[in-house]
This record gives sequence, C-alpha cells and structure tokens, in this order.
Amino acid sequence: MSEQKAYDLVVIGGGPGGYVCAIRAAQLGMKVACVEKRGTLGGTCLNIGCIPSKALLQASEKFEEANHSLAKFGVKLGKVSLDLPTMLEHKDSVVDSNVKGIEFLFKKNKIDWLKGAGRITAPGTVEVDGESVSAKNIVIATGSTHVDLPGLDVDEERIVSSTGALTLEKVPKHLVVIGGGYIGLEMGSVWQRLGAKVTVVEFLDRIVPGMDGEIAKTFQRVLKKQGMTFKLATKVTGAKTKRSGVTLTMEPAKGGEAENLDCDVVLVAVGRKPYVEGLGLEEVGVELDERGRVKVDGSYRTNVEGIHAIGDVIPGPMLAHKAEEEGAALAEILAGQPGHVNYDTVPGIVYTWPEVASVGKTEEELKEAGVEYRVGKFPFTANGRARAMNSTDGMVKILADKATDRILGAHILGPEAGTLIHEVVVAMEFGGSAEDLARSFHGHPTLNEAVKEAALAVHGRPLHI
Amino acid sequence: MKELSCQLLVIGAGPGGYVCAIRAGQLGLDTVVVEAARPGGVCLTVGCIPSKALIHVAEEYAKAAAAAASGTPFGLHAPPPELDLAQAVSWKEGIVERLTLGVAQLLKRAGVKSVAGWARFRDGKTVEVETATGPQVIRAENVVIATGSTPVELPALPFGGKVISSSEALKLTRPPERLVVVGAGYIGLELGTAFAKLGSRVTVVEAEDRILPQWDRELTRPVAKRLETLGVEIILRAKARRLSSDATALVVETAEGEERRLPADQVLVTVGRRPLVEGWGLEELDLDRDGPFLRIDGQCRTSMRGVYAIGDVTGEPMLAHRAMAQGHMVAEILADKPRAWDTRAIPAVCFTDPEVVCVGLSPEEARATGREIRLGQFPFSANGRAMTLGADAGGSDAGFVRVVARADNHLVLGVQAVGPGVSELSAAFILAIEMGARLEDIAGTIHAHPTQSEAFPEAALKALGQGLHV
Repeated sequence: MSEQKAYDLVVIGGGPGGYVCAIRAAQLGMKVACVEKRGTLGGTCLNIGCIPSKALLQASEKFEEANHSLAKFGVKLGKVSLDLPTMLEHKDSVVDSNVKGIEFLFKKNKIDWLKGAGRITAPGTVEVDGESVSAKNIVIATGSTHVDLPGLDVDEERIVSSTGALTLEKVPKHLVVIGGGYIGLEMGSVWQRLGAKVTVVEFLDRIVPGMDGEIAKTFQRVLKKQGMTFKLATKVTGAKTKRSGVTLTMEPAKGGEAENLDCDVVLVAVGRKPYVEGLGLEEVGVELDERGRVKVDGSYRTNVEGIHAIGDVIPGPMLAHKAEEEGAALAEILAGQPGHVNYDTVPGIVYTWPEVASVGKTEEELKEAGVEYRVGKFPFTANGRARAMNSTDGMVKILADKATDRILGAHILGPEAGTLIHEVVVAMEFGGSAEDLARSFHGHPTLNEAVKEAALAVHGRPLHI
Repeated sequence: MKELSCQLLVIGAGPGGYVCAIRAGQLGLDTVVVEAARPGGVCLTVGCIPSKALIHVAEEYAKAAAAAASGTPFGLHAPPPELDLAQAVSWKEGIVERLTLGVAQLLKRAGVKSVAGWARFRDGKTVEVETATGPQVIRAENVVIATGSTPVELPALPFGGKVISSSEALKLTRPPERLVVVGAGYIGLELGTAFAKLGSRVTVVEAEDRILPQWDRELTRPVAKRLETLGVEIILRAKARRLSSDATALVVETAEGEERRLPADQVLVTVGRRPLVEGWGLEELDLDRDGPFLRIDGQCRTSMRGVYAIGDVTGEPMLAHRAMAQGHMVAEILADKPRAWDTRAIPAVCFTDPEVVCVGLSPEEARATGREIRLGQFPFSANGRAMTLGADAGGSDAGFVRVVARADNHLVLGVQAVGPGVSELSAAFILAIEMGARLEDIAGTIHAHPTQSEAFPEAALKALGQGLHV
C-alpha cells in the first residue's frame, strides 16, 4: 500500500469560500489540497449561481433596453431579435473563463485539486473516491443547495431550480416563480425581459424578506411597473405537469379557497440549505444545529479538533463574499495570524434593474432592538447623472444612530446600487458617521452624490431636494 | 433705483454659488443670489450634466450600431439604428430644464432671494444689478464671488462660425461629418468620443506628447486604445495654427514642423478654461490675484474683508464638486460654524470610454514626497463582474484599479482607476482616503461579490503581496 499523501490543509469544496481559503493558506506557506467533485472549480457561485445569472441579467437588460428605452433620446432601432442559444453560450463562455481562472490560480499557488467527493473518515483523514489523504486541518466548505418544495418535483425542464432557470431552451410564455427572494426576482427579471410573462408567488406578505421594508415596498412597485405580477401571502400546494405545461394549485397562506395557475415553467426559488450529505460528519461526530448547519465557534472550529467550517454550511447570510472573507480569515487563523470577519458590514445585492443593495441594519431591525435612529433619504429623480442615464427609479436611504450619528445601515434601490453601497461599507468599517459621508467629496456628476445627499438628509439638510 | 440689503450676497448661481446660497438659507442667513442666466451655471446648463446626457446617447447608439454590424456576444440581433440627434438634444434640454427649475425651487424653499441680471461691484459691500425691470442695488454684509470660468479662446481661432466651444458642441443637432478637436484634455476627449460614436470622423490635435496629459500614460492607455478602435485620429505634439482661407480645414503645425490641413466641418476648441474675472467690476475691489485666479485662504476669504470667492474663479481643479464643497463651507463659516478647508481627496472623474478616476496622489506625486511607496494594481480582466459586463479586452486594456500607499505604514495615499463605470467606484476610494485607511483596512473590508468594487480590495492585497485573484 502506497503511503498516503499528507497535507497541512485539506479544503472540501472548491467554491468561493473553499478556493479563497486554499489560496490564502498556500500563500501563507501551507501545503494545501482542495477537494471538488464538480468537474470545475468555483462552486455554485461561478458555475450555476452569481456569475452565470449576472451574465444573463446583463444580456437580457441590453435586449430590454434596445427594445424599449433608446427611442426616448433619439436612438431609433427596429425590432431586436433574440438568439437564445447564443446568449446561453455567451453565459457558458463567461463561466468557463472564470472557472479556468481558478484552476490557473490553483496551479500558480501549488494547490492540489483532488477531483471527487470528499468524506471525512476520521479527524485528520479525508477520503476522496476511495483514496485517503491526511490533513493537519480540514475545512468543510461544501456550500448549500436549493430547498425543494413538497409536492413539486424539480425535473429541471418544466419545474426548475435556479440551475435549470439558467438553461431554459426557449423563453417561456408564462413563468411562475415561487419565492420572492433575490434569486427568484433576478431570474424572473431575466425571462421577463426576454419576453415571458412572470408571476411571483410568495408565502409571506412581502417580497425579499429581510430587506428594509420601505425599500422592499418601493422595489415591488418598480418591478410591478416593469410588468411583473405578484401573488403575496400565497402558498403553493401542488403541481400537475402536463405536456403543455404545469398547473399549480395554491391557496392563501392563512388558509382559504384553493385556485389554479397555468404556466409553462415553474421556478422553485424558496431558499437554500446547507449541503452536508455524504461528508461523514455524523461518523466523526461534527455537531449540526437545529437547521442542519455546522456549528462553529468564532474561529470557525467545529466541536471536533482539526475540523473547521466556513461559508453557506455555517450560520449567516449565504453570500459568496461572506464565504470568501471567512475563507481568508480562517487561513490566517490557521497560520497563527489574527484573522477576522466583521459581520456588521456584509453588503447584499440584488442584481435586478434597478439594483438593490444594502449593508447593516434595516429600519425594522433597529425598531425591534429599540435603537434610536435618524433616517436620511434621497431620490434618484433629483440626481443629475441618473437623469442623464435615463434611470431615475429608486432612492438612497441611510440610517444613523440618533445620539452618535454612527451609520447603522444603508439601503439603496437604484441604478448601480451594488457599486454605490461600497462607500458606505468602507465608512461603516471605520465606524463612520453620516456626517463623515456628508462631508467627504463626491465626484460630480455621479450617482454617488445621491449617497452624500442622503447623508445630509440624516441631519435634515439635503442640498438638492 | 431699487435697493435691497442682505446678510449674504452670492454672485453666480452655478454649483458653488447655489449650494452656498441654499446652505446659507438653511442656516437662517438672509441671502440673495444674482445670476444672469438660468440657475445651475455652466455645469447644469452647458457642462457636466448635458455632456453626460450626450455621452449616454452616443454610447447607446454606438452599442446598437455595433450590435447591428457584427452581432453581440449575447445573441441579440438588431437592424442598424437611426440617430435623431435633434431629438436627443431636446431630451437633454428637458433634463437641463427640470434640473435648473429644480435649483430655482430649492433656492426659494431655502428662503433665498434670486435676482436675475448681471451684477457689477460698486465697492466691497455694494453691487448693482442690471435687471429686466431696471437697475437694482444690493448691499450685503458679506459677498461671495462665484462667477466661475469660461472656455479659453485661441487667438488664432476665435470662437464663431465653424470654431465652437463645448457649449455649442452640445447643441449640434446633426453630428458634423468631420470634427477636429483641439486639445486632448478631458472635455475634448469626452465630446470627441461621443461624436465619434455618433458617426463623425474625429481628429484630435494635442500639443503635448500624449492624451489626457495631466495623468500618467498607463492610466490613460485604455482610453487611447479605445479611441483607436473608434477610428479617432490623434495628432500629438502639434499646434493648431488657423482655419484655412476657404474655412474648410484646420491648419496645424506637426511635430516635424510641417503644416498639415485637416478638413473640418466643425472645429471644437477645448484647450482649457479660464476664470471669469472681467465684466463684474473686479477693478473696483482690487483683490489679490493668484495668477489669473482670485487668491483665497483656507476659508475662501479674499484679500478684502467680507469678500469671499469660491469655485473656478479661485483656481484648480476647476470642478463642480470642489466649488460645491467650498460654497457649503463658506455658508457655514458665515453662520459662525468652525469650518476650514480640510480635504484629503478631491476626485477627478473623466467620462471618456472607458472612464478614468483619480483620487489623492498619483504614483509620481507620491514618489515626489520623498517617501518610499507601494503600488498594487488589479486588472478588470480578472474580475468576474467586469467579464459579465463584457470586459473582453485582454490584460490591462480592460482597465484596472491602482492603489498607491506608503511603504512604511501602508497608509493609502491615492487610488486611480480606468475602466467601464469606474466613475461610480470613486466615492469608496475617497472615503478610504478621508478615513485614513491603510492597505489592510481596504483588504479587510467586505466587498460584495460579484461587483467591480472587488477590484479595490484586490489591488490593496496586491500591494501587500497577497493578491488572491491574480
């Protein structure tokens, strides 16, 4: 029997958390392997998540723009036609170059990619497709997978998960999205722009739970204006697949009369759950919490010595950048450095048009915590650049502590919101106040100026409204 | 003659003047603002805002035309677009109209009295305004001069006829067939690029040895590349001499000292702007000067007590956001708030294709301080979001973010970026510098994925020798 390979660190999962952890650890001098069973690195994010969905969002936005918004300022275009296979190929090529990039980074950093499914057979030992390697430290970075809805069997053709929604062979006439969270709204936006009628069915009485209520309400109004239909406080109870499509049965969330809804394709986007199957966690005794997430302490240690976990498998927002930060921090901790993640400043973005971005606390959270705060708001209608871009839906909203003026949260609905939020993230990292934002330079004419104005509005003195 | 007295008189309702007046009004000062044209100044009426509208139209038109010609990688097929520039101009005018009306309303709501007309100083406390209803005298405890700037005219190429400034360029209702731009600074290139996209054949003449000469070559290379792709001819180290006698061409002197005729339907002269210091009675005040500008101190005071100056009339950089910040500060000083000019980062944003942003010190400026520095540069070609946006150019031609820091303590001194949409990344750069960030602070701040903003912490990591994605 040949001697088993020995590593300082074996990371199970090559997604954003796992690959960043592996790279950072290799930089710090560790001998590192990363186990990934998918044929490519990059995880959900690069293969079937953030990156391909953004490629489709971008392309479909161009289609929408070409057909609807150019004439207003004198650019006249005949009918723009869509070649869906090419659009999907473009998406695949973006994914391809991204995942190849990670492969290259692994080579550059001398990280071994162990292809196959990883299983922890004992503390310090990982088995990959029958072959064991030893590891001083093991990181579980296996991510998450979509949640199924009872009564709806995902076949990725008629009833699809977010993965299948990236590869529909033709534009559905009517797409029903179950779940009004960011994945459902992003993919719903894509197919709506390409010509589908889109109905969003959500169990709660609002969309994007967790988002600031006022922003969510305005967001829903904007999407409605774009043609999206919403059925809130509604529960889907079953689906019948026929050759021509799917008939969904649903009823009011509180109970009541059932109704049917016909459509061609159903997207089930009701959430994601940690992916822990087949890892051998039970056998080695790694504890999970009541929601099936791996329990960790502040240094990402599980209850078993030498086994750690990061990303979607542990509590916290299931976001690629949260996983990446945890990956880098854990690598540093394992190298004896003080790695650290500030969970108060994790931004979140919805890539619809306009985009929605937020960081920190919502108004609802502050109210519940009994924190006294001030609100500053500024609409994009009063911003020169937004006008010049013909994109004035939305606003910037900043929440600051009433006594100290420290920024507690920021919520932006508007053009490039995902970019604009980062100045607030930087300010919050420094414990900045609304006045710090208000008194810093903002280039003119930029959308950034709306953030400054909202900060001024916190003190009741915006200049341009 | 009508007489009016107030605590604060602001002369000029451009970005500096109107912000000063609004803030003063908010603070309860009895304020009057005088403006001969529409409120909003150059910026709102013939500068930043209308140019960005035109740039937006040109960009959309060019994308549609490119899609029609060679298809898109996205699988969209479109017939060739038609351009109705007159409609675009009227759309743009609609925006200007709404924004200037907006400013007028804001002034009113802040309790500021607006007087329409041309102001002229009698002395440091008194101004006479020619209004439509006759002369009006305004006496003020304090005066703020915010008269702005005007395009520099070349003696050999006076404005008029075929020779136009940026103001006229924004009103053209048809793209000129052949446009020659004199001066490859940001105004010339922004407009030159827009017209090239709208179908004009554009030639740019520049006296220096590169475009956007105020910035380093590396930073501006993606812009030069793009101009080349758009078919814009750049003639460097050349001087504009005169219009040909039949007025069909611009005659330039090339680097080799030869004369060359550049056929032109319009000649756009963008060789800079100069402070507007004449026509409003500066000679009555005899204020100290700083070259062509009015000399001011750290609180925007001129050499005469009670007379302040802000904006383009006070010097470089002549940028709307500098004027606004000065106006804001002066209003607060006049309301007895402890304020002084204390900014570490005034952004410069250039809306070319791709956009360019400079905040704080450039590598060269940082080296000139005598300190050792560290640089970190991250290309957008390694950024997932930039790829989904179609950053197809290889290497640094897709643009990058560059961080300049002190080698000893990693304090961030400057950030520069070039790439699509980088104008909107600028605020985060500024905040970082204003907050005294070090490279580790930027690297340790969570930036959302997938965004172009991720290039900022990556550049910081690179400077630390810890680049993750490159």
